[in-house]
Amino acid sequence: MRGEELNVDKNTYFDSFNRQLHLLGKVMLGVSFVAMIAFSFVVGAMYDVAPSLSGFLSGLLQVGIIYYPVAIVEFLVYAPMLGVGGSYLAFLTGNLTNLKIPCAMNARELAGAKTGTPENEIISTISVATSAIVTTLILAAGVLLMTPLQPLLSSETLKPAFENVVPALFGAFGLKYYLKSPKIAVAPFVIMTLLCIFVPAVRNNTSIAIIPAGLMCIGIGVLLDKMGKLGDI
Amino acid sequence: MNYLSQVNAPGLYLMVGAIIGFVLIMCVLFLVRSYKAGLAIGMDKAVLKKTIRNSAVFTVLPSVGILVGVIALSGALGAPLSWMRLSVVGALQYELNVADIAAKAIGLSGLNVSEMSAGAFATVSLVMTVGILGGGLCCIFFLGRYLRKLGGKKKPAEPASAENAPAENAPAPKKRSNIGNIAMVAMFIGLCTAYISSYIGTFANDVSSFLPLLTACVAAAVMLAFTALAKNPRFRWVENFDVALSMLIAMAAAVIAGGVI
Repeated sequence: MRGEELNVDKNTYFDSFNRQLHLLGKVMLGVSFVAMIAFSFVVGAMYDVAPSLSGFLSGLLQVGIIYYPVAIVEFLVYAPMLGVGGSYLAFLTGNLTNLKIPCAMNARELAGAKTGTPENEIISTISVATSAIVTTLILAAGVLLMTPLQPLLSSETLKPAFENVVPALFGAFGLKYYLKSPKIAVAPFVIMTLLCIFVPAVRNNTSIAIIPAGLMCIGIGVLLDKMGKLGDI
Repeated sequence: MNYLSQVNAPGLYLMVGAIIGFVLIMCVLFLVRSYKAGLAIGMDKAVLKKTIRNSAVFTVLPSVGILVGVIALSGALGAPLSWMRLSVVGALQYELNVADIAAKAIGLSGLNVSEMSAGAFATVSLVMTVGILGGGLCCIFFLGRYLRKLGGKKKPAEPASAENAPAENAPAPKKRSNIGNIAMVAMFIGLCTAYISSYIGTFANDVSSFLPLLTACVAAAVMLAFTALAKNPRFRWVENFDVALSMLIAMAAAVIAGGVI
């Protein structure tokens, strides 16, 4: 009985906490978006020019047709991974696939948190918030020190390292997760590799290739689970 | 005043600094609140601290990569906008592509500094900003409903009552499927697969573009070694740094291979 009471209290407390995060998150995103849009108009006003409406609409059409569907899919896929707080923060601070998602997954793995639990949401939010703070501070320091840092960061010797941060990240993570569940990984890996070899559009648009790769993996994972052949992941 | 002086003016740094400062404060607020909520629901303080420490270490190398992106972008768009774009909502792989599309949409040959002006900058920056807001707008309008639907809840915080409490002799509830967990791990495997396959595809079509694949392979090999090492209780601590160390060694390998070949 005592355990049930504690569980009810925990869930009630957590629901109330999440409601506060929703409010805070919406205000935070709203204010930031208005400020970022205002930036372009303020710059225009500083130099007596205005953004071109036709140029904006034409550019937005070309950009939106690609990136809005991608954004919707990213939202549908990543929001459940990140939970309430993690989603607001990650979609505000960006760099989702190359930083926030791997960071949150790594934190979840180390903490042993299970999806859909309050603990998982807390770990995700703490992880994404910490990651965003560290990135913001590094970028701020980098911008302040841009003049002395520029020769080092743009040096030809170190260029291969900085150009290959993302391959290093996904090489390390790929191995970790392939070992976790090779049964899910094998077929999508073979199919995606063949597609990338023979279809240039697939290998050149990784953000879109994620969708079929992810759907295949989810389908195989669910199927194996239903057949009782997946084991614990 | 030429274009680059205009887009690097102190006033722009102040505006961007204020926006990023606001975002930073919000991140701290979310961090503190979540930490306290974690303690309130009975989570171990050591686990929460470990999450902070580990996430900070994990973030350093990718952030340096993002900083290189800021420097690359600043050549055409100035440091303030580049700083803002990659600190708030932006993504390294998105910015240059979108800036180029926007520049062409206003009649330029591309994102070319010699053709840019303050007016073109205002339009390009507006397209870059509005074009990437999709995910954030989904969060504002749909996040609550979407997560509730996935969690199978009608409304949050339904008060528990004796009426809806299960009877003591009722059959044990069926064990919940771990489908969410499977979907999450599977989606992440899909994410890794999309990237790694693209490196293989690129290499297969142009062997001189071997560095991304080589870097990924070295990172994977080092991670394999760390995973084996962490099975020994004396080296369990390696788990906390395995991704960051694997990346660092793989990036060092990329420098060596880039210099040698």
